[in-house]
Amino acid sequence: MSAPASFDLPIPPPEKGAPAPPTIKRLSDGKPDLAGFYMPDGGGGNYGLGKHEQDFLTPGGRGIIVDPPDGTLPMQPWAKAEVKSRQLPERGYDDPTAHCFVAGVPRSTYVPAPLQILQPPGYLVILHERMSWRSIPLDGRPHLPDEMRLWQGDSVGQWDGDTLVVETTNFNGKTWLNEVGEIVSHAQRVIERFTPINGDRINYQATVSDPLVYTRPWTVAFALNRQKEELLEVACHEDNQDLQHLKDVRDEARAKARTNSTR
Amino acid sequence: MGRVRFIGILAALVGLSVVSAAAHHSFSAEYDSNKPLKLTGKVIEMRWSNPHAWIYINVSGKDGKVVKWAWETGGANALYRRGWRKEDLVAGTVVVVDGYQARNGSTTANATSITFQDGRRLFAGSSNPNAPK
Repeated sequence: MSAPASFDLPIPPPEKGAPAPPTIKRLSDGKPDLAGFYMPDGGGGNYGLGKHEQDFLTPGGRGIIVDPPDGTLPMQPWAKAEVKSRQLPERGYDDPTAHCFVAGVPRSTYVPAPLQILQPPGYLVILHERMSWRSIPLDGRPHLPDEMRLWQGDSVGQWDGDTLVVETTNFNGKTWLNEVGEIVSHAQRVIERFTPINGDRINYQATVSDPLVYTRPWTVAFALNRQKEELLEVACHEDNQDLQHLKDVRDEARAKARTNSTR
Repeated sequence: MGRVRFIGILAALVGLSVVSAAAHHSFSAEYDSNKPLKLTGKVIEMRWSNPHAWIYINVSGKDGKVVKWAWETGGANALYRRGWRKEDLVAGTVVVVDGYQARNGSTTANATSITFQDGRRLFAGSSNPNAPK
């Protein structure tokens, strides 16, 4: 696994009078002990990875793309057109998360919901509050056969000093990167770096390569901040009335299009 | 007011807690920015459900006709972390809810906040950018 360059995040100055953050805890083998609850400081990536203003019910975002340096996704022209199409109200029904499917990688990390990291021997496990998980083996095993395609992909990890480097492949290409429909395909490959900078904060970055969609790899970076609050339950299928609304919006648009085409 | 609830409201008001406020998908597809709404009514039922919770209220019109409105909010967790509590929302409670009506013109809307008779206002955990994160 070849790791991409590391992009340092600015470290916020300590609040006046606040105690110094705790030091990184260590496991018996000397590796950082990342276990605990975290809230991602995802910067509105779930509503657009680049910097953007709020738009009606879509919140704004500070932009979390650190590469390319201009902070925009290097999308091929067809992908730009597809993203625009996904933002039509009648495409709301196509959003996989509206159907309660898992968010994929790296979106699972920047949806605005807490996560828990567990570190049993040989694994790093991430439990996401929206009731999905990633179990990342650290034993050097190869990826699954190419024909196996998964929503969350197949992740394997290894330590590079104090940084856990995770490579994920074998995606099914069905996930959206966020609510505004930014794209990845089944050719997506993600390399994530989890770097604890003190006991309360992990600098996270994800580099996405996807030659079917992008002209070059790109990287997002943000912090995971430790919190005391634990995870709650999100039983997404319980009372999902949105799906019918979104279908109504889609059906109405289709009926209108049919009427127009037969005129 | 119980201590737990007070802390919850305080957190919601000053935006101390970074909560999961967002929708699972874009609300913009379902609701109409040109149809803002503010209605006063009596709680019929608060449904603490997922992926989004729902509050149903009866609204009396000037003609005396009572209309049932369904308001969609953020998920149950987002509401809980913003200070919403079951005991505050028993049937018959008078509330003011504001937000945006559905595109299809039905008596369904996306709630951005709820205000109680004593003036307490809680944000509805929707993905409305005007609500604190």
